[in-house]
Amino acid sequence: MAAAASAARHGVQVALIDERTTFGGQIFKRLGPGFHLADPADLGNDYSRGAQLIEGIDHRLITLFNETLVLTIEGSTVITSHPRFGVRNFSFNNLIVAPGAYDRPVVFPGWTLPGVMTAGAVQTLVKTQQISPGRKILFAGSGPLALAFSAQLIKLGAPVYKVLESAPFPSPLSLARLALNVGGNLDLAADALRYQSILLKNRIPFLYRRIILKAEGDGRVESVTYGKVDRNWNLIPGSEVSESVDTLCIGYGFFPSHELLRLVDCSFSYDENKGGFTVDKDRWGQSSIEGIFAVGDGTGVTGSYSAVAQGSVAGLRIAHLQGKLSESDLERAARPFHRELAARNSFQKALNKVYSIKPGIYRLADKDTVICRCENIKKSEIDPIVESTDDLSVIKSYCRAGMGLCQGRNCQRQIAAMISEKHGKDLSEINFATPRFPVKPVEIGLIADPSIQEEKYFIT
Amino acid sequence: MINQSNPPFVREPFLKGYLSHEKNLSPLPKEVDVLIIGGGLLGASLSYYLAKEGVEVLLLERDEINREASGTNAGSFHFQIALHQLTPNMSDKEKSRLAAEVKLQVDAAKLWDNIEKELDADLGVFFDGGIMVAESQEEMRVLKDKEEIENSAGLESHILTGDEMRTFAPYLAPDLAGIAFCPREGHANPLLVTPTYAYRAMELGAQIRTGCAVLSVEANSSTGASHRFKVKTNRGEIYCHRIVNATGAWATDLSSQLGLNLPMGLSGLHVNVTEPREYFLKSMIQHIGRRLTLKQTHNNTFIIGGGWPSHPESYPKRYSNYWSSTTGNLAVALRVLPMLKDVKLLRTWTGVWAYTKDFKPILGESSKVPGYHVAMVPTGFTLGPMVSRMLAEYISADKPIHNIPQEFSVDREVLK
Ligand SMILES: Cc1cc2nc3c(=O)[nH]c(=O)nc-3n(C[C@H](O)[C@H](O)[C@H](O)COP(=O)(O)OP(=O)(O)OC[C@H]3O[C@@H](n4cnc5c(N)ncnc54)[C@H](O)[C@@H]3O)c2cc1C
Ligand SMILES: Cc1cc2nc3c(=O)[nH]c(=O)nc-3n(C[C@H](O)[C@H](O)[C@H](O)COP(=O)(O)OP(=O)(O)OC[C@H]3O[C@@H](n4cnc5c(N)ncnc54)[C@H](O)[C@@H]3O)c2cc1C
Repeated sequence: MAAAASAARHGVQVALIDERTTFGGQIFKRLGPGFHLADPADLGNDYSRGAQLIEGIDHRLITLFNETLVLTIEGSTVITSHPRFGVRNFSFNNLIVAPGAYDRPVVFPGWTLPGVMTAGAVQTLVKTQQISPGRKILFAGSGPLALAFSAQLIKLGAPVYKVLESAPFPSPLSLARLALNVGGNLDLAADALRYQSILLKNRIPFLYRRIILKAEGDGRVESVTYGKVDRNWNLIPGSEVSESVDTLCIGYGFFPSHELLRLVDCSFSYDENKGGFTVDKDRWGQSSIEGIFAVGDGTGVTGSYSAVAQGSVAGLRIAHLQGKLSESDLERAARPFHRELAARNSFQKALNKVYSIKPGIYRLADKDTVICRCENIKKSEIDPIVESTDDLSVIKSYCRAGMGLCQGRNCQRQIAAMISEKHGKDLSEINFATPRFPVKPVEIGLIADPSIQEEKYFIT
Repeated sequence: MINQSNPPFVREPFLKGYLSHEKNLSPLPKEVDVLIIGGGLLGASLSYYLAKEGVEVLLLERDEINREASGTNAGSFHFQIALHQLTPNMSDKEKSRLAAEVKLQVDAAKLWDNIEKELDADLGVFFDGGIMVAESQEEMRVLKDKEEIENSAGLESHILTGDEMRTFAPYLAPDLAGIAFCPREGHANPLLVTPTYAYRAMELGAQIRTGCAVLSVEANSSTGASHRFKVKTNRGEIYCHRIVNATGAWATDLSSQLGLNLPMGLSGLHVNVTEPREYFLKSMIQHIGRRLTLKQTHNNTFIIGGGWPSHPESYPKRYSNYWSSTTGNLAVALRVLPMLKDVKLLRTWTGVWAYTKDFKPILGESSKVPGYHVAMVPTGFTLGPMVSRMLAEYISADKPIHNIPQEFSVDREVLK
């Protein structure tokens, strides 16, 4: 939305496409149909930031396409489907891809039990449906989002009784480093303080250096076990603690949804803290493919403030490319956003010194743990294949892990980590399986096109 | 409307065993009797049949086993005569030529009957018959010719129309002109067949190296009988007595280095797979006038293909998909099986297919370069194991034998 708004402000015609029924993405998402908000303050300042963006849409230049799922990009055409109107093609001069991120799946014994939920799912339930998923919720995660999520959930009335953070309590040095870089991030720092005080006020214990180990129960979660970890998030034996709960909320960060960007074959780099593979781009957000821009969490997870700034910059750049904005006006208009991004980046780096994902997160599964939940493939079935190859695609083809409905979004990083451990390969060297369309499943009846004829095999 | 599939079932691991990573990457021997280049179905099954005869064999694959055509195909057994082989108003001569080919297919069916026993593995082999549909009266005439030829060659097939058709296959669009049903047709799982052959070959003593690309082949008459060929790879040189080129779509690359011009071409093909739904479709479905193969696998997904094109890329990048191949292919599928309407397309992929213009295999030893063999066949999933077994018999024979039909010759003229 930020990108569309900034391009449109300079007269660029924009089509804004989203598969959801409402705009706003993950953080600015609106309530579900039939729900009303008594007091917007309950949803925090994100809700009103979102409202501002949405209300600011200039409908003369920006056309909105809801419930419109992007299936693939072919040349300079975006191919989409709509549940009622079917396929619609959009040809573009410039394209901004901003598909966001999804919760990082963490694989441990019991992670597929009902009652184990990702933070994003719990947040969506609470935010848009105003439902709390349970009566006694343990929150296990890491990083600033763990703090933010748990505090928000508590504020909205979800009974989180304890929060586990895998990282150690920040050292004085790293706190100092954070403080040094806080310039330009006071909003984030203020958010953090507010969240902390919510936890304090509600007397919710926040335990450092703890990781989730397993969830157990008959048909759904009844108890969980967690334990103390070292700096690499490896369990310190003997430190296990079990508690009874009815809901376990998992928040260890996000993975970028980079399926579309991989499909068009942009170049990528690797940064575990931004969710693994992150798309390469210049300071305007342009990917390695001319005319295709990539912004927001879908290009490497850096949060909503940064996403808005990235979008704004890309929108301006496109206005310039289309002759609506001179070089010098572009630089001038973009300067505050570039400055903001620089500040956000250095704060992010300092944060990463405190909270970064460690290899222990990939070592929680035991032999009976299901790794691929779509196809129900256990670790013990994958282990012997990992012995025989270091190629993710081969593993996929031998046991179907990654071939199901989610197409590996949930299991491929875990299997990559198994390869990495076994063969001493760096995670950055282990590619996902070949990208293919559709990026999300779509009904055959919606897309089949009888007007397309193959050349005949025989002459009649 | 087809019901949602039950949640995935718990099952045994698919394969009986896996190749060893360490062995695959170990150094090459200095020399070997038979060197097979290419770890697809042809190369893997040939290694198996040769190792079984006690021949010393080394298989080299540039990537991993089964990553190209053999692992990307649709897994159909094409025993019925395919549409590209048929023309309206065929002469008797053409008909008897086709009948000879059908006999080959009947032999292949026998091999597939026993393959799971022979390799002691579950390979997802189904023999629940194949349906070939016709939409028009003209297509019906082709279907009738086809039935006549097949029956004369010993391949059972029946034509059904009207209510008979609708009772037999109530799921098909009721207004089709008719179908041919071939009880002997079926399909198997291409992801399992080649790796299983490779694994069993290794057990029998065949050596396998992966990540080993052959860069050049030199025929050297001066190096003596055991050193007839000098082969350069990205992992060093090796000498061998005999070579089998089983590199599928890439077979021309190395053959042309020896001055051979193989009568083949290649083309990228497109395949679709859907989400799983309740199992109901036992028979494979094809179309006599359009590009369609459609089957429900033992994972309950539907695989829909039939030869729609994909977009060429240069190796190692995989061919990409055309959107129009998906939407066109799915429209043919829906025309025949309307109840697929609300089933979700999950993924598409591509494979590179090697064919000959006369649709016959290229099989055997070149008379121009003795010791140099080619193993290549267009409907290679169906016929691959069988032609490999033929070639293994030829190579392992003590004295020269003539078990391979002349018309498969490596040295035949390139057809226009
Ligand atoms: C579950 C979750 C919870 C979060 N909670 C917080 C929080 O409490 N506080 C905070 O500061 N940050 C939070 N974040 C981070 C914050 O939401 C992001 O930084 C921000 O939303 C990034 O904006 P974006 O535009 O990049 O992506 P998003 O806001 O995710 O927007 C991406 C949009 O793209 C659409 N889309 C994706 N693929 C397709 C397709 N193929 N076709 C059509 N449309 C498509 C999606 O429907 C979505 O609307 C959360 C992130 C997630 C994933
Ligand atoms: C999409 C598609 C669908 C198909 N559907 C069917 C079907 O339903 N039924 C049917 O019967 N047939 C089908 N076919 C045809 C069938 O898949 C092929 O005929 C058969 O798999 C060919 O096997 P192959 O071993 O010759 O080739 P491949 O499987 O392609 O193996 C060749 C191997 O050689 C390797 N190689 C190449 N060059 C070198 C080198 N220089 N050094 C080392 N290694 C090298 C390659 O990496 C590859 O692994 C289909 C083909 C495709 C592409």
